[in-house]
Amino acid sequence: MSHYPKSGTWQTCRACGRHVHQSQWGQWRQCPYCQHWQRLTARQRLTQLVDPASFQPLPMPEQAHDALAFPGYQEKLTTASHQSGADEAIIIGTAKIAKRPCVLAVMDSHFMMGTLNTVVSRRLQRACAVAQRRRLPLIVVTASGGARMQEGLYALFGMNLILAAVARLAAAAVPLITVLTDPTMGGVSASFAFKGDVIVAEAGAKIGFAGPRVIQQTMPAQLPADFQSAEQLWRHGMVDAVVARPDLRAYLQTVLASYAMGGNADAID
Amino acid sequence: MRSTKQEDQRLTRLRAADRISAPEIIQALLPTLVRQRGDRLLGQAPALTAGFGRTTDGLGLAVLGIDRGHDLASRQQKNGGALTVAGYRTALRVVNHAQKFGLPVISLINMPGADASPESERWGQSQAIADLIMAMGQLTVPNVAVFLGEGHSGGALAFANANRILMLDDALFNVASPEAVAAILHGQQSVSAAIDLLPMTAPELQQRGLVDQVVAHTDDQLVTKVIQAVRTQLAPLMPVSAAQLIAEREAKFQRFVAAWPLEKSE
Ligand SMILES: [Zn+2]
Repeated sequence: MSHYPKSGTWQTCRACGRHVHQSQWGQWRQCPYCQHWQRLTARQRLTQLVDPASFQPLPMPEQAHDALAFPGYQEKLTTASHQSGADEAIIIGTAKIAKRPCVLAVMDSHFMMGTLNTVVSRRLQRACAVAQRRRLPLIVVTASGGARMQEGLYALFGMNLILAAVARLAAAAVPLITVLTDPTMGGVSASFAFKGDVIVAEAGAKIGFAGPRVIQQTMPAQLPADFQSAEQLWRHGMVDAVVARPDLRAYLQTVLASYAMGGNADAID
Repeated sequence: MRSTKQEDQRLTRLRAADRISAPEIIQALLPTLVRQRGDRLLGQAPALTAGFGRTTDGLGLAVLGIDRGHDLASRQQKNGGALTVAGYRTALRVVNHAQKFGLPVISLINMPGADASPESERWGQSQAIADLIMAMGQLTVPNVAVFLGEGHSGGALAFANANRILMLDDALFNVASPEAVAAILHGQQSVSAAIDLLPMTAPELQQRGLVDQVVAHTDDQLVTKVIQAVRTQLAPLMPVSAAQLIAEREAKFQRFVAAWPLEKSE
């Protein structure tokens, strides 16, 4: 688990396997040897994207429960919160990007691989509802391995329930901008991730439905190196843009400016 | 605890080659089915039997049936029930057509998880599933889903995002196949045991309020019984307004999920 943020000053690059000193990752968390983008925590992502001190968290009272007593789940939850420092795989709030207000939901792959569960689902639905009421663009930064199996159908129904909230957002003509980061797979990929009015993928991200390991189990063919990469998706017409991490904030700034929605960031819900 | 042998029989029965299939039911339900084939772009999926028609007593219906095939050749042809992107997109076309002409949509489900292939990734399996989930959720006509066999993951949800859900008593509906559930436990539990780790059986899901009706899987008159159950569930939905159908559909799933505790524990 060497890529967890709290694990010390030396970390192993997931892509090239070299040991990288904390200071070498730099502001954008990029491997100095192979240029691989290290996965960001939700907090790191926020810091890179929004105006300083502009993030106002929305209520997030939910907490994950092992309600089905699934073997090992409680331990996984405890480990995840200790290692990630987060209470779940998403944070939601309002923020400003270059002074333009928006509602922001940022997933966190450091918490149980960002899997979609009852908590993530409830928070995303709240983010949609707030964006709709305040008439503010909703930016969702995805980072998820898919639905969280340990919560069974309770997790799976995050897909249709979030899509129902997204449908209301669309009916109200409030823009949804999705930022697909590494990884965006399974139940997140097959629900709201590709429902953005604008879809941007971060350079180097892996995005798809079935994981490469699952695909190779069913058909042992050699998959191309760029399989399910942001760049391949862009060539195939699946995303509007592939943007390198340092340019993401400016890209979102342009998108928000182009929608030119003032909204009401301070409205009472 | 069940013995291993009995557990194995559950899966064997579920996956038996001669299990009741969507095409059998569709033939009895809509004897003059106008089959709608293909997504007009990529192709068609042999695992999908879809279209519209009239019941013998004159009710117009649209159907979406997915089956896994009954022998080696048909299982190969139908990709074991794993729909291709063209299959989801065809279903989307059928659903949109049904809405246009006010036809309730009946889905008949027996499919494993998603099609894990480079082609499905290439042509947007994620987008195709998301589009169908959303279209089913926003349908202005009633929809009823029947689990004849297995249905797992987002692919099955795309057909089950419905006003009513019925299951044969030995069918399964889950976030992932029993095999995938066993896999995340690194083989500490058998595939059969995985069935009991999460609520996925018909009686369990009925008890939890998701499944509206469970149909006993008996050999006698099964097709008729399934059709009767569908008609029973559909009848009260017929006079419901479009807006109410959409709201009630979402509320059905919200009610189910609301049983999950989310408050902070001590
Ligand atoms: Zn590296």
